[in-house]
Amino acid sequence: MKIEARGLEHFYGHEKVLNGVDIEILPGSFTAIIGESGSGKTTVLSILSTLLQPSLGSVRYDGKLLNELGNIDHFRQHNIGFVFQFHYLISYLTLRENIALAALDATLIDPLMGSLGIERLGKRYSDEVSGGERQRAAIARALINHPSVVFADEPTGNLDSKNALGVYELFREFSRAGTGFVVASHDKKIADYADVIIEMEDGIVKQIHK
Amino acid sequence: MITPIKALRKNRFKTALIFISMSVSIAAIFLISAISGGVVSMYSAMLKTDGDIIVTQKGIADTFFSDINRSLSVSIEKMEGVKEASALILGAAPVDPLPIVGIYGASENRYKSYLLKQGTYPKSGEVMLGSKIYETLKKPTKIVLSKKTFVVSGVFKSRIGFEDGGVVMNLTDAGELFHKSASIFLISLDDLGKSEGIVKQINSLSSDIEAKTTESFIDSYNQFKIIKTSSDVIGAMAFLMGILGIVSMMSMVVNDRKGEFGIMRSIGLSSTTIIVKLLSETLIIAILAYAVALGASLGILEMIEHADKFQGYINGEITAALMIKVFIVSVTMALFGTLLPAVYASRIDPMSLIQRGGA
Ligand SMILES: Nc1ncnc2c1ncn2[C@@H]1O[C@H](COP(=O)(O)OP(=O)(O)OP(=O)(O)O)[C@@H](O)[C@H]1O
Ligand SMILES: [Mg+2]
Repeated sequence: MKIEARGLEHFYGHEKVLNGVDIEILPGSFTAIIGESGSGKTTVLSILSTLLQPSLGSVRYDGKLLNELGNIDHFRQHNIGFVFQFHYLISYLTLRENIALAALDATLIDPLMGSLGIERLGKRYSDEVSGGERQRAAIARALINHPSVVFADEPTGNLDSKNALGVYELFREFSRAGTGFVVASHDKKIADYADVIIEMEDGIVKQIHK
Repeated sequence: MITPIKALRKNRFKTALIFISMSVSIAAIFLISAISGGVVSMYSAMLKTDGDIIVTQKGIADTFFSDINRSLSVSIEKMEGVKEASALILGAAPVDPLPIVGIYGASENRYKSYLLKQGTYPKSGEVMLGSKIYETLKKPTKIVLSKKTFVVSGVFKSRIGFEDGGVVMNLTDAGELFHKSASIFLISLDDLGKSEGIVKQINSLSSDIEAKTTESFIDSYNQFKIIKTSSDVIGAMAFLMGILGIVSMMSMVVNDRKGEFGIMRSIGLSSTTIIVKLLSETLIIAILAYAVALGASLGILEMIEHADKFQGYINGEITAALMIKVFIVSVTMALFGTLLPAVYASRIDPMSLIQRGGA
C-alpha cells in the first residue's frame, strides 16, 4: 500500500507542532522517522497510521482518503499493524493467545512465531519472558494478518541495544518479504537498517535520505 | 468462554468484590420477596381455609380493629346457599415470657379446622395451644392471659404458621378478653358461583358490616398492599444498589485494563466485540452470584422458619416463579451495570497507547 501525505499541519490546542509535512511511503519499504525530541515524529506517525486526524492536509492510502476507506476497524485489521513502545500484551493470556486474538487465520500463528524465534514460548505469559521476547510477541501480533504496513513508535525504547538491533533486523527481514514498516525512533542506529530515513525538525521534514 | 474466565481470574480481587456485591443484592431481593410473599400467602391461606366470604366491620383498615355483632352470624347461616358461618376474634396478648402471641377466639363450628394432636377442644375457661407455642412454652398445663388463668385443654397442629404459634379459645372468653363481640365471620358456601348474590344479602343485613368474597378481600386488603409495596420498594433499592456496585467496580476494572482495550481497538477488534467481552465477564459473575444467593437465601429462610423467636410467623417460600423472576433481575442487573463501562472501554482510543516522547 502506498501512503501519501500532503501539507500536514497539526495543532495541539493553540500550539502548532506540524508545519506543512509532505511524505510518501512506498509499498514494502522500511521507513525510519528520526529527529530531536519534540520534533513531531509521533504526531506524524499517528496521522499516517489513522490514529490521529491532522488539523490540515490529507493522507491517501493507495489514492483513497481515510473517509473513503469504509469501516476503519476493518481497514486496520486487514492493512495495518501496530507496535508500541510498551508491548501491551494482555497479561492473562499466553503469548500465543495474544497473537491469536488478532489472527484472522490461526494456521499462520505457529510459523510466524517460529520465524520470530519465540515458538517455544507460546504457553508462557508476558511476565514469564524477557523484554526482547515480549516485544517479539508484540511484533508477531502486528504481523499476523499480513498487513501492508506496520507502524511502530519507539519500538526499542524499552530494550537494550542488542535487543534493539534484533528488532531492526526483524523489520528489515520482513520488509524484504513485502511488509512496509514506518518506525519513529530516537535511535540513530536505525539508519543502518532502513530504506528511507525521514529527519524531522521543529514540525517540518528537514531531510530525506534514501 | 475461556477468555472471560481467564480475565476474571487475573482480576481476582475486583472480581470478588463484584461477586460479593451482586450476591448480597440478589439475596436481599430473594429474602424480601420470599418473606413478604410468605406472610401474605400464610394469612391468605388462613382466611381461605373455611371462608368463601369474609365479613368485617365496615371501613376498617385492619381486621384486628374490626368489631361486629356475633349474633348476625346466626342470620347469615340461615341464608340459602350458606353452608356454614363461623365467627372469629383476632387478638394479640403477651403470654409470659413471650411479648406477643396471636389469640384466636373461634366459634365451635370452626374447631374442626384445627387438627387436634392431644387433649380436647377448649371449653369455657380453657385454651388449646398451637403445637409450636406449646413447645416454646415447655408444655404448660395452664397459661395466664390478662391476669386470667386458662387451663390448657389440648394441642393442635395447623399448617398455617400463624396459628401454630397461637392460642385458640372459645368465642365468649375471647370476647371478654378483647371487649368485642366478634372480629370477622368466615362463611363457606354450597356453591361458589352464588357468592355475589349472598354478599349482597349479607351487606343488606346491617350497615355496620361489609362482606366480600375472600378473593377480593385479599386483593383489596390494605395490609397486604403495604407489605407488597414495601417489599417492592426494598427490592428495587437492592437492585439499584447492585447496579451501582457493578458500575463503579467495572469502571475501575476498565480503567485498569485500558491498555488491553486500546490494543484490541488497534488490532481492529470492533467495539461490539469489546462490549460483548465485558458483558460476558459480568454475566458469568452474575450467574455464580445468583446460585450462591439462592443457596444462602434458602438457608436463611430455613433458619428463620425454625427460629423460636419468630414462632413460625415468618415463613418465606422461594417458588419457581420467584427463582425465574430473580434470575432475570440478576442478569438485567449485570447487563445494565456493565453497559456504560463497557461502552467506555470500547471507545478507548489506541492513540492513548502511543508514547508521546517528553510529554
Ligand atoms: N497531546 C498533546 N497535547 C499537547 N501537545 C502535544 C501533545 N502531543 C505532543 N505534543 C507536543 O507536540 C510536539 C511534537 O510532539 P511529538 O510527540 O510528535 O514529538 P516526538 O518527535 O515524537 O518527540 P519524542 O522524540 O520525545 O517522542 C511537542 O512539542 C509536544 O510537546
Ligand atoms: Mg515520540
